Amino acid sequence: MVRFKIRRYDGKKSYWQSFEVPARRGMTVLEALYYIKENYDSSLAFRASCRMGICGSCAMKINDKPRLACETQVLTLGNTVKVEPLDNFKVIKDLITEFDGFFEKHKAVKPYLIRKDDNYAEPKELLQSPEELNEYYVFTLCIKCGACYSVCPAAATLDECLGPAAMTAAYRFCADSRDEGQKERYEIASSSNGVWRCHLAMECSEVCPKNVEPAKAVQLLRRKTAFSILKSLLRW
Amino acid sequence: MGVSGWFRFKGRSLFSWAFTFQRLTGVVLLIYLLAHLTYLSTLLDKTGATYESMIAITVSRQFLVFDILLVLCGVFHGVNGFRIILHEFGIAYEYRKPLLAIFTVIAVVVWLYASYIMYSLTGG
Repeated sequence: MVRFKIRRYDGKKSYWQSFEVPARRGMTVLEALYYIKENYDSSLAFRASCRMGICGSCAMKINDKPRLACETQVLTLGNTVKVEPLDNFKVIKDLITEFDGFFEKHKAVKPYLIRKDDNYAEPKELLQSPEELNEYYVFTLCIKCGACYSVCPAAATLDECLGPAAMTAAYRFCADSRDEGQKERYEIASSSNGVWRCHLAMECSEVCPKNVEPAKAVQLLRRKTAFSILKSLLRW
Repeated sequence: MGVSGWFRFKGRSLFSWAFTFQRLTGVVLLIYLLAHLTYLSTLLDKTGATYESMIAITVSRQFLVFDILLVLCGVFHGVNGFRIILHEFGIAYEYRKPLLAIFTVIAVVVWLYASYIMYSLTGG
């Protein structure tokens, strides 16, 4: 039996509640949460979808570290498992956090290819070499789970801070050889809530379940943004 | 979450510890700098006796522990700050873990050496 200590929130007050779960080999934290919901307390609220580490819905703090519940094996965590909602997000209920602001920030950096010759009636094939793909490929693996944002010290003190995930998305498209919207994104990234807010704690890269390395993306975006500002100052 | 978000260590890596220590030492150095400049700029004694008496207190044996802690703040903030500057713009990002260890060892060695010198100067 593994003891699950869950941080609950009912909209008014926050409290801890414990449950005993018969853990077996291969059982994930997400399965344990479903066990609790089905056998002990049906009011337990958590977010989950794909159950295979793709959708990023089930990110939560497990034993003090942000992880995907569907990818975390219960038996690797010891006899007591502490489950909490992610930090730096407003809690809606139990383990469910408000993600609207997070996705708004993602949208704000224009995470799509911007082309001057966009023509949906006559789509054009855009060729890219493997080297060009490797420039940004690792950053495409982000599943927007919010783990990086939850440990970001800049996001902890400033709600408007874009955060590592949004800036990684911005860099992913800026580094794409097919994209022509760098200038627009550099303007967004160089705003007071953008790349210059990063304190370089680099914890975001440590907790990313997909090893996307957001800290690297933020620094690379910072470099590109700085060169862009320098170029505009020199009218180059 | 506010400023308390800077002081979360449970489940965090050494990078978060380095970040928090960088912040704390920065605040300590800022307070020290303000106190230092305020004291110097408000000295009215033209003979220098007030200044000399203050210096005599700060280099005394009883004050040594504060000097050592201040040097720790200065050394760590400088050395770790250099590591952060190195990583800015994505330089040596892949070596961030060994660099964190190396720079921390450098900071500790420099601090211990400086503390030994100060201890010797106060008649230790």
